[in-house]
Amino acid sequence: MGILIKDLETAIRDAFPIIHLEIEDTSSGCGENYSVLIVSPAFEGKTTLARHRLVNEALKKEIAIMHAFSQRALTPAQYEVQKADKQ
Amino acid sequence: MSAVHVVESAEHFKSLLSADLTRVSLINFWAPWANPCVQMNIFVEKLSKKYPQALVLQVEADEQADIAESFDVEAVPTFLILQGHTLLQRISGADAKKLTESMERFVKPTPLVDPLSSTEKLPAGDLQAPADEAEKEKLNARLKVLMEQDMVMLFMKGTPDAPRCGFSRKIVNLLRDQDVKYSSFDILSDESVRSGLKVYNDWPTFPQLIVKGEFVGGLDVVQEMVDSGEFKQLVGR
Repeated sequence: MGILIKDLETAIRDAFPIIHLEIEDTSSGCGENYSVLIVSPAFEGKTTLARHRLVNEALKKEIAIMHAFSQRALTPAQYEVQKADKQ
Repeated sequence: MSAVHVVESAEHFKSLLSADLTRVSLINFWAPWANPCVQMNIFVEKLSKKYPQALVLQVEADEQADIAESFDVEAVPTFLILQGHTLLQRISGADAKKLTESMERFVKPTPLVDPLSSTEKLPAGDLQAPADEAEKEKLNARLKVLMEQDMVMLFMKGTPDAPRCGFSRKIVNLLRDQDVKYSSFDILSDESVRSGLKVYNDWPTFPQLIVKGEFVGGLDVVQEMVDSGEFKQLVGR
């Protein structure tokens, strides 16, 4: 019945060097729909599409047992800019 | 005793599937008012006995509308072959031949003799691609033409006036907020375009946005590109 949030977190941390990570279960605790924000230097120099494909590939098994998956993939520099904009 | 499970609710459906996510399942969406369904139900009963290792579920589409909707089932009968939550094959209509072929292909047959070797892997190649090269070429040529129909092409579920899924609705709103002119194609209206594009663009879901004939991404990618300013640059506004 979906995937546990801690298993998803482990999978992400195993796949990418993580500066910042946010995972939200958008299926009200059912573990079926997730929305993630991944901030990693692994995304440097890659187009948005390339980053998303990278994440889709790395988390293929996890995504296969979800109903919906939503992602944002930022470099550390981009994340700092977005944080500053919010303040 | 019947090997076909009659699904009573969404929870029942989920628990049957989740019991074994490596198992291949056949879902039969039917309705009592459609004659072909009554025939096909008997056929499916036979299939369930022939392939005891597959989970065979019978879903009355009107009664279990939320299950039907989650798989975009628009007409009956519709047959889905899943492995876990992954859709392997969709068969629209009472196509007994195609259904049998698909079961043969995806469900590992119970060996009558000891095999010298065996594999858990599915056959190599695209799951939904047409069998021969000429057909594949024709499909790809058609997809290319569709993708180049307008400078910005959106392949979505439903239409901009009536989106049929949350992600498609969101991308329509996004494009409207960005004041982008585009044409759209309803992938629910054409199964070969729907499955063909997933292979052609190497992207498993819809919506898909195409700019100047090139695949750009789905909702998330487009949203990020809007946030970063990349999108404005791409559509030249």
